Amino acid sequence: MSHESIPGFVSEVEAHGETTVVVETARLEEAARYCREELGFNFLADIAATDYLGWNERTVAGYWGSDGGRDINRPGSWGLATKPEPKPTRFSVSYHLLRLAPGAAEAPRIRLQVWCEDGEAVPSVVPVWPTADWHEREAWDMMGIPIEGHPNLTRILMEDDWEGHPLRKDYPLGGEPVRFSSAE
Amino acid sequence: MAEVERKKRLADYGLHSERLLMKRKGPGVFEQELGELEDKLMLTTVEKAVAWAQGHSIWPDTFGLACCAMEMIAIVSPRYDVARFGAEVFRSSPRQADLLIVSGRVAHKMARPLRQIYDQMLEPKWVIAMGACASSGGMFGNYAILQGVDKIVAVDVHVPGCPPRPEALLEGIVRLQEKILAGVPPAYEIREAAS
Amino acid sequence: MAVVERADTRIYEGSRIPSPIPTILRVDPKLHEDGDILQVNFGPNHPSTHGVLRLIVDLNGEEVVGLEAVVGYLHTGFEKNMEQKTWWKAITYPERIDYLSFQYNELVFVLAIEKLLEVQPPEKATWMRMLLCELNRIHSHLIWLGTGALEIGAISMLWYCFRERDAVLDLFELVTGTRMHTRYFQAGGLAADIPPGFFTECRRFVDYFPRRIDEYEAILDRQQIWLERTQGLGLLSADDAIALGQSGPVLRASGVDWDLRKSDPYLAYDQVDFNVPVYYEGDVYDRYRVHMDEMRESTKIVQQCLDGMPEGPWIVDDRKIVLPPRHELHTSMESLIHHFKLVTEGYRVPAGEVYVAVESARGELGCYLVSDGGPKPWRVKFRAPSFVALEATATCMSDALVADLIAIVGSLDTVMGEVDR
Repeated sequence: MSHESIPGFVSEVEAHGETTVVVETARLEEAARYCREELGFNFLADIAATDYLGWNERTVAGYWGSDGGRDINRPGSWGLATKPEPKPTRFSVSYHLLRLAPGAAEAPRIRLQVWCEDGEAVPSVVPVWPTADWHEREAWDMMGIPIEGHPNLTRILMEDDWEGHPLRKDYPLGGEPVRFSSAE
Repeated sequence: MAEVERKKRLADYGLHSERLLMKRKGPGVFEQELGELEDKLMLTTVEKAVAWAQGHSIWPDTFGLACCAMEMIAIVSPRYDVARFGAEVFRSSPRQADLLIVSGRVAHKMARPLRQIYDQMLEPKWVIAMGACASSGGMFGNYAILQGVDKIVAVDVHVPGCPPRPEALLEGIVRLQEKILAGVPPAYEIREAAS
Repeated sequence: MAVVERADTRIYEGSRIPSPIPTILRVDPKLHEDGDILQVNFGPNHPSTHGVLRLIVDLNGEEVVGLEAVVGYLHTGFEKNMEQKTWWKAITYPERIDYLSFQYNELVFVLAIEKLLEVQPPEKATWMRMLLCELNRIHSHLIWLGTGALEIGAISMLWYCFRERDAVLDLFELVTGTRMHTRYFQAGGLAADIPPGFFTECRRFVDYFPRRIDEYEAILDRQQIWLERTQGLGLLSADDAIALGQSGPVLRASGVDWDLRKSDPYLAYDQVDFNVPVYYEGDVYDRYRVHMDEMRESTKIVQQCLDGMPEGPWIVDDRKIVLPPRHELHTSMESLIHHFKLVTEGYRVPAGEVYVAVESARGELGCYLVSDGGPKPWRVKFRAPSFVALEATATCMSDALVADLIAIVGSLDTVMGEVDR
């Protein structure tokens, strides 16, 4: 089923049995409302922000498997290094939606995805799914993606006066080096 | 009691258990050393009586943070029964508790409440760092977790494990009891919080 | 902090979700003038908040007129840590996220890896995973019942439930070697074969456990104090629950018949026969009833798993992701190389992104996984049901008294490890 009727539709990909629909960042709230009202995706399961800094910088050789065994015809499967396909911008925010119909024997899911740069604001979907409140606060806190129109955009997991956004790729892991001392 | 010098380390009292435990197995050496220590410290009968009372009624504070808290609740359960050691009365208020069992990973956000709770406890007070996360940060060497709770409070006993079995925690409590009975001062008198 | 003027978050007529911030109950300004509002801090260290949850509560006498939940006191940075470890080592981390139903976290992560790898574990592994996960559900509900009842005042329930919990943990120890945080699932199957003697012990447990549930119900079900302290409190309507993203027992107690094991079966749930309990009042008592009935249904599933456990290998045969058996290392060069590569570098998972959801003891536990084709995960995000359940506290507490606060927060069955990750 094609989802081209979603406002702001950019592209649609089907992989691993999942549908990912990319929409324009500016029209996200419209698209979200359309998904909830017209397409019936009334349940927002998760909002996941991903940082793709450094995505296309190193080559990887992979193993592509299937039920029948290794896919030997795919380049990269024999150790020839390839790079993953570059991503359009640094950040992506994925909204995992579910059509929840009580008693139904199926659970259609869709992933609505927007792409944004560092500092670019993403509209809030709290008026569409109130559960987005804390998920968006976490996206702001951990990734530094400003959510435009969020009623309460404050830090949720880190302390209120923490500097930096921990899950970004340029934020260090932290911790401390382990020292083994012989005296004491 | 004889003047206890502040900031003396356990090694200065002759107690090397933390190292010797790795060379020899079993609690026998520990008790032996405590016996020697007792002779050195020369506690009076009153002090021994007080130590006996304190050691056999260590009341922990309900400071359960994460997974280790589940095993800490398990020591209250009928199978492991910490009541036989006198420690089953978990007080909710730190002002009524003797023992702080830090069970679980301590995030930096939680470090301040932890220190507050520790400060609110009345002396003498003891701290058990339960589990790998409380002792050293555990498997989480990152920006969010305090790498060892002995950075902010003085710890008496570290109990290893992820999570430690209830029997391991009971062993930690028993060792703490033995230390108290021998007259070893609580950790805050011996060492500052580690740097 | 200025509140931005937005469209109403009460997205339909009759919603009790507070506005404009759906997760914070704000004190009515009129009350500030009329009444005497006391702000109380249920601090992170509280015996009854199920871990390090902080609630800032505004009280007008005994009534709760304002509520805000502050979380983050157990933030561990799981997701960032997992990005630094190979796939194999990363499986150790998710267990500590929801430390009551630990195998579900492992399961969802391993299922996501297998989805990207496009491998299907053997039948025995699938059924064993199902069995262990249902035992884990029983474990989680037992702890919920024990600690929840303890906080409401039925103190003896703690000892009864923990007696059974130790029995379940004995079963885990028999199979995996450790009580909690078992780390038994691998990408492709199980870490080791099922030891002999497990099935006998498990059958023994399953035979006597339903009578124990009967005992718990006998203690609580007609106890007047229990009924008064749980019925009619913490009401959450079905539409509010869906709008707030609730799932699991909270959703089913509000009248929504939704269980991922039935609607989107994973593992072998479509081959076992069980019911999904649904109750319609949406109060604390119904959540308690859902938990009790789910324990019975889980016992049924475990029974069917024991009866229908297939024979065969416990892990997939693919040497690119699974270590070869040790005896082969002496004879086969390829096995040695595979072993070396897997132990030092780890297996590689093809590039892509997946979202896998399972029905954990608390609701929909999801894992969003992004891989760049390398030996380490690029991004792992766990959708924790407790995180979302705490968003509903403001809605549930709309007409509560301070004495009901603990009962309602307890009934939402939150685990702070999940909330803060």
